[in-house]
Formats: sequence, structure tokens, C-alpha cells
Amino acid sequence: MNERKPDDSPLPPSELLSLDHSQLYMRRKLTSSDSNLSVYNFDLLSDENPHIPEDNAPLQGSFSSIVDTYNNLEYTPNSITVDMSQKTCSHCKDGFSNEKIVNTNGELWHTQCFVCAQCFRPFPEGIYYEFEGRKYCEHDFQVLFAPYCGKCGEFVIGRVIKAMNANWHPKCFCCEMCNKQLADYGFIRNQGRALCHDCNAQVKAVGLGKHVCHKCHGVIDEKPLRFRGEVYHAYHFNCTACGTELKSDAREVKSRPGLLANDVNELYCLRCHDKMGIPICGACRRPIEERVVTALGKHWHVEHFVCAKCEKPFLGHRHYEKKGLAYCETHYHQLFGNLCFVCNQVIQVDVFTALNKAWCVHHFACSICDQKLNQKTKFYECDEKPVCKKCNDKFPAEFKRRLRKAHQYTPQRAPV
Amino acid sequence: MSKARKALAEAREIKNPELDLVDKGIHSFEELPGLFNMLNITRLTLSHNRIKDIPPSIAYLVNLEILTLFNNQIEELPVSISSLPKLRILNVGMNRLDSLPRGFGALPVLEVLDLTYNNLNENSLPGNFFMLETLRALYLGDNDFEVLPPEIGQLKNLQILVLRENDLIDVPKEIGELTRLRELHIQANRLTVLPPEIGNLDLVGSKSILKMDFNPWVTPIADQLQVGISHVIDYIRSETYRYLYNRHISTRGPPPPKVNDKSRKISRIKQQG
Ligand SMILES: [Zn+2]
Ligand SMILES: [Zn+2]
Ligand SMILES: [Zn+2]
Ligand SMILES: [Zn+2]
Ligand SMILES: [Zn+2]
Ligand SMILES: [Zn+2]
Ligand SMILES: [Zn+2]
Ligand SMILES: [Zn+2]
Repeated sequence: MNERKPDDSPLPPSELLSLDHSQLYMRRKLTSSDSNLSVYNFDLLSDENPHIPEDNAPLQGSFSSIVDTYNNLEYTPNSITVDMSQKTCSHCKDGFSNEKIVNTNGELWHTQCFVCAQCFRPFPEGIYYEFEGRKYCEHDFQVLFAPYCGKCGEFVIGRVIKAMNANWHPKCFCCEMCNKQLADYGFIRNQGRALCHDCNAQVKAVGLGKHVCHKCHGVIDEKPLRFRGEVYHAYHFNCTACGTELKSDAREVKSRPGLLANDVNELYCLRCHDKMGIPICGACRRPIEERVVTALGKHWHVEHFVCAKCEKPFLGHRHYEKKGLAYCETHYHQLFGNLCFVCNQVIQVDVFTALNKAWCVHHFACSICDQKLNQKTKFYECDEKPVCKKCNDKFPAEFKRRLRKAHQYTPQRAPV
Repeated sequence: MSKARKALAEAREIKNPELDLVDKGIHSFEELPGLFNMLNITRLTLSHNRIKDIPPSIAYLVNLEILTLFNNQIEELPVSISSLPKLRILNVGMNRLDSLPRGFGALPVLEVLDLTYNNLNENSLPGNFFMLETLRALYLGDNDFEVLPPEIGQLKNLQILVLRENDLIDVPKEIGELTRLRELHIQANRLTVLPPEIGNLDLVGSKSILKMDFNPWVTPIADQLQVGISHVIDYIRSETYRYLYNRHISTRGPPPPKVNDKSRKISRIKQQG
């Protein structure tokens, strides 16, 4: 198909060029059959009653008259023989001599008369817009008549959405929450915002204190299922083990304890969860999903593994077991003794006991010279502390005399 | 090379954090050059020497946990000693102390304090002495206390209290607040009665010691003591004793005389000029 422009390639008068048509506004190209038509299509969307426009709905507003004009366009065959002597220019009403003639839709024009009604210049690329019998270049038409989009501010060519007291490109009129295009679905005005039906329902539900499913965005009426930090309808999921559809009592299992990310968590139905051997806390009888402490043949929540005496949690500190109970260091000692007199630590392995005291192996020594003592070493006593023979020998005579006197006098204690 | 220097060099070589310098004839820390640079030391034992002065630089040994100075000739401790952050056991027994330095009670982790056989009395203690909350054993035997300050009740962790052979005429009732006390040595003082509050303590269990001989006890206590310590405590816990005690306190005359002869104690020897 050859494409010509009125000003650079002379057209024989006998060749009348065809125009495509639309029932709506037309953006026209003067050249051959134009498949590149843009259409103004005003959709008037009302907020209270969402309006789903039908195809080819009638136009609204002042532009409808133009529609009428072009609704009645007749198809003009490409090649037609016309008697030029009786024709006049649609613009200046003069006749034509042997010159280029523009033919649009059965009307004929001098080339110099076929110009924009506003700027009097030829139409760039042959494209013009017609309104109330006048033709305008694209630029002037837009400036004079075209609506502009309430979102992007550009002129709206083609289908126009009228809603929320403004005009929009169809792709620009979107739900303010989820960004879904609303042109074909209608919308609901919610506190000055245009929302889709789903988002509007969500907003309402949240206002009523209800959860909204993270998957289907529907309102959750029953107890929500919490999973990986979101809430869902339980029925969107199946048990990781047995595959049954879950109910809201399903359990989320942190399958890799200690990991910060919870995107490795899995869901199990209550029955499978119980069968999985998730440890149960020996104190509160509830499952332990975080750190597990294993002691005394049971499992414990970290914060529930406590001293049997003071009930403070050990929180990783050393504990001491006695007769099936756990104690903190202080209370183990208070109740069961055996803190080393020197280091004041609980004696784990070998204990020296003497003089109402206990020592660990490293610390059993003369209280005066710090020399190590052992089971076989003979030692003396002074104020119930061990004294080696060397030190005892070094005591001044008057002190030794007093010690001796005290020992002689002290009644024998019954062996315990 | 002196015995002391040799021992010091050895310890430095093998990086031993426990330094034994017992009975090495040491007169002064000047005989131990570089000692205060051995910051890794956790125990320093200098028993049976002739040391008179502890230099303030002792405070450089910030890792020191045990300091044993038994049987020297020390007349006073440096104020800086109270800044040793890890000192848990201090034994200055058998020296010539007649006071403790100002601020001594600031020692943050002191657990065992042995001041046996010195010349200390109730006026020798610095004002903050009873701030030593971590103290679990206090050895004051063979000193000159006539009165035990009632602030003793603040030493809540005290398990052992030795006051053998002082000149005590009374024990304060606050001693009854030392709920962890399991060893009390008050033999050879001038005590006639004990406060009934002492009955609150567990001093007669299989893990307890109460030594109270050689005191001029009132007859009922002396009689019970003949039979055994547990009888004394039973008696002290009785209503009869409470009555006797109150009457005794309100009517008693002058305290019994001092009987301990301390003139031969080596702690009494004073340095010349
Ligand atoms: Zn737009
Ligand atoms: Zn939406
Ligand atoms: Zn859902
Ligand atoms: Zn299941
Ligand atoms: Zn629990
Ligand atoms: Zn506890
Ligand atoms: Zn030990
Ligand atoms: Zn020894």
C-alpha cells in the first residue's frame, strides 16, 4: 500500500483517498486506509454504583456531537471518477484548477486550505482532529479540547475514564491500595480514595478488628492461621506430613531452631504435630519451639528451667542436680555444702573434708604458708584451719603454749 | 643470688602465677626487684619473713587473688591495698598491726580476712570496714577487742567469725542477724552472758562450731557448758534465760578483769625509732 502525503507527492484529482471511521472521535490520517486510529472513549465511572462500561457505549458530554458526525461517515471507494469543474473547495468555495486537491470524506480542498483552524498550518503527518466542523492539528486539538489525566498529567487520547471528579488514562485509574486497574471493574470511593472491591472489603474488615488473609485478601472470620509472620485462612494450607487441609489449630514449626528467618517454617495439623515429638516442657507442659534445655531426663523451656530453691532460671549458667532436682550454685551449696574453702566453688570431683570445711584437690593447703597438703600429710589445727608441721613449729613458744592449753581443755566432741 | 631472687627468677621463667617466697629471710620488698611487674601473679605468699613495710606498689598486682603475709613484722598496710580488684583472701596474721588503713572496706571481693595475732581493737577499724559485704570468714583471734561493733550485723555473708582470746566484755545482739554463720569462736574473753538473739543461729548442727570456753560465764551458762554446747544453746533459747539475761544486763557491775597475758606476744615488739 502506498502512502502519500498531500504536500510532497501530488495526487491525481481522480484519486480520492479513503478514511477509516469510528463511531467515536477520530484521529484522522489523510493517507491510505489508516489502521492506526485512536479513539476517544469516555467512560463515566460513578463511585457509588460501580459502572462497568459496555463496548461502544454512547459518549457523554459535549463531544457527542462529533460522534454523530462521524457515525454517519460513508465509506468512499478508493478510486472514483469525479467531474472536477463543478466542485469547489470546502474552505474558500473557489473552484480548482489543475492542482493538488485534498479529498477527505467526500469534501475537497485546496492544499493550502487544508490547514489547522487554529494555527493555519498543514497537518503534520496528515493527522488532524475534527470538532464542530473544524479541523485541528494534534497539538492544538489537545490544547483546546482534549482532557488530561488526573494521574500522569498527560493528554488522554482514546478512551477516557471520568471518575473521582477527574479524567484518567485507563491504565492510570488504579486502586490506591493494590494498584489494580479499575477501568473494567468499577471502584468504590472510600474516604476520598478509589479502591477495588477487595481492598475496600479489607479496609472495612480491619476497621472492625478482623484479619485479612495474606493469600486471598478475604476477611478471616474464624481464628486466623499464623504462618511465617502473616495471617491466612487455614484452608489454604495442607499439613506438611499428612496432607490434610488445615484448620486454625494447625501448628507452625520452626524447623531450624535458632535461624532468624522464619521462611523455613512448616505447618502441621495438630495430630501430626503431636506425633512429631516436639519436646514438651517439664514445667509448663507446653511444646517447646525455641531453645530446648535437656536436664534431669526432661525437656524445658529455657525460662522454665529454674533452681528448685529460689526458682530463678539458670539461663545457661551451671546448675547442680540432687535427688531429681536442680539447684543454682548458691542454693546447692547452702543445702548440700561442699564449697571449697579457698576458691568458694562447688567441688566437682575429689573433696577433702576436715575441720568442718571442704577443699578441692588444688586448694587443700596449709592456711599459713599455702603449701599443698594431701591425705597423708600430718597437719595441725589453729582456729579450725589446717596448719602444716613446719608452720606449727615456727609458732612462738607463748602461742604454742596457749594452743596446747586450749586443746587440753576442749571437751572431746562426739564423733559425727 | 639470694634465695628470694632465685625463687623470683624461677617463677618468672616458668610463668608461674603462684609465687611462694616462704621463710626466705626477706626484710624488704626491695629484695624482690621486678616483683611488681609480674602482673600475672594470682597468689603471693610471703609467710615467715621479716618484712616491715608493704609498699603502695602492691596495688600494681591487679590479678592478685590471694596474699599471705603471715608472721612478718608489718605495722601498717598501705591505703592502696584496698584497690586490689581481685583480692579474695588476705592473711596478715601474726604481724604488728594496730590499725587498718583508711578505706580498707572498699576491697570489692574480699572473702577471707585473717588478722589473727595482731594488736587490733574496735578503734582500729576504718569507718567503712563493715562494707565488706563479700566477707565469709573473719579471723580476729588474739587481738584486743573489748567490744564488737554492732555493725557486724551488716556482714550478711559471714560464715566464720573468730574472736578467740580478745578482751570482749559483750557480744552485740546484731550477731543474731548473721544467718549464715556456722563457726563462732569466742573462747578466752571476758564474757558473762550471750544475747538471746544468738539462739537464732544454727551453731549446734553437725556442720557448725561454737567455741566459748574460758569465759567468766554466769553460773547457769557455765553449768550447761559442762554438759555440752547444744545444752547451752537450748538454754539460751528458753524464756528462763531471756528473763535472766535482761535482769543481768540491768544489774551487772563492772566487767570482769582482763586475764589474758599478752606481754609476751611477738606482735607487741615495737620497731626501734
Ligand atoms: Zn495518565
Ligand atoms: Zn485493590
Ligand atoms: Zn484466604
Ligand atoms: Zn497432618
Ligand atoms: Zn515451659
Ligand atoms: Zn537458687
Ligand atoms: Zn578450691
Ligand atoms: Zn604451713
